[in-house]
Amino acid sequence: MESRVIPDTKAQAGKQTRMTQARKRTLALFYCQNTPESGEAQRQALEKRYASRLKLFPIPCSGRLDPLHLLKALEEFADAAYVIACPEGACRYFEGNLRATKRVDRTAQTIAQIGLEKERVGIVANSKENPKPLAKLAEEILDRTGELRPSPVLERPRRGKGTKEKKDDHSRKKTH
Amino acid sequence: MITAERKPIDEIMAMIAPYKRVLVLGCGSCVAECAAGGEKETGMLASTLRMANKMEGKEVLIQEKTLDRQCVKDFVILLDDVIGQYDAVLSLGCGAGVQAVAEMFSELPILPALNTEFLGETREQGYWVENCLGCGDCMLHFFGGVCPLARCSKQLLNGPCGGSRDGKCEINPEVPCAWQAIIDRLERFEALDRLEQIYPPKDWSRKQGGGPRKIMREDQQR
Repeated sequence: MESRVIPDTKAQAGKQTRMTQARKRTLALFYCQNTPESGEAQRQALEKRYASRLKLFPIPCSGRLDPLHLLKALEEFADAAYVIACPEGACRYFEGNLRATKRVDRTAQTIAQIGLEKERVGIVANSKENPKPLAKLAEEILDRTGELRPSPVLERPRRGKGTKEKKDDHSRKKTH
Repeated sequence: MITAERKPIDEIMAMIAPYKRVLVLGCGSCVAECAAGGEKETGMLASTLRMANKMEGKEVLIQEKTLDRQCVKDFVILLDDVIGQYDAVLSLGCGAGVQAVAEMFSELPILPALNTEFLGETREQGYWVENCLGCGDCMLHFFGGVCPLARCSKQLLNGPCGGSRDGKCEINPEVPCAWQAIIDRLERFEALDRLEQIYPPKDWSRKQGGGPRKIMREDQQR
């Protein structure tokens, strides 16, 4: 009996740990506005539910995505940056989702060159037969990215007496 | 258009390693068209370098700016107000752009982030091909608008060679045979008789035989 309980407890504890870790990560999620149940009300509700873990960015088509969007998110606040695209063959602009896939691949190669895990960026195509709502897809992606270690790029404020929070440096400013 | 490709990040990181304040400088002309050094690519490179430096624990100021053209001094002079903040410039211009900036700001190291490639044409989105060597003595009218110097692997003026197979070059079956294209076009113009003419070896003195070339137009000068 005991031998059955212990693994269960361990598994539960493991799951709990993963969930705790997942809570620490921030995901930047760009999504095609054709994703089911992805209106403004749903976006606000999701951001409220996940608080700092999730930042949502609606785009008119995943083809609007630029590698710069993903890089800026990773540089400034996100541990991972993902895109939700329409299923293959279902893009209203015909090939926006295909272009987005290529751009995500290129971004993955770029971040790999500086030693960041490729898994910090990704694209998820919705199912053609059984399209999932934004909330469900966001949950699945959060679960996946929750496995990642905290991003080494992000400066996290240190806690403790006498430690001042480091202000954002001016290196992000454009000169024009 | 001048085409270029970005250098590997490692090489760029090694170049900027000695500097603490770096301006990443894009160019909005040819290299923007070939998606190597325009405003977007400049933003991407600057962002990537900032992340790389943070990961290595280095405190380096990296900012970005894009000029309409780096090879025209009227645009380069726009840097005058900001250039003093930096101890190096990482240029995403072509080789001409890098040198124009270096000439104007001789006290600063101007580092190339791109490898300048060739004079090319945008064949389709994301696909550029070399079709001009800038030889200084254009012969396209003899060859139906196809340059055998830029597009024939052997640069034959009196071709084709024996290596043309099904309209492809023997060096690589993916390379179209320039001479096949020349013959096809001349046939369309009913001008195949031009091939009976023997073309003497190319006079390369008009390319770089006399050193770096220059063009001076008095009517265009101030």
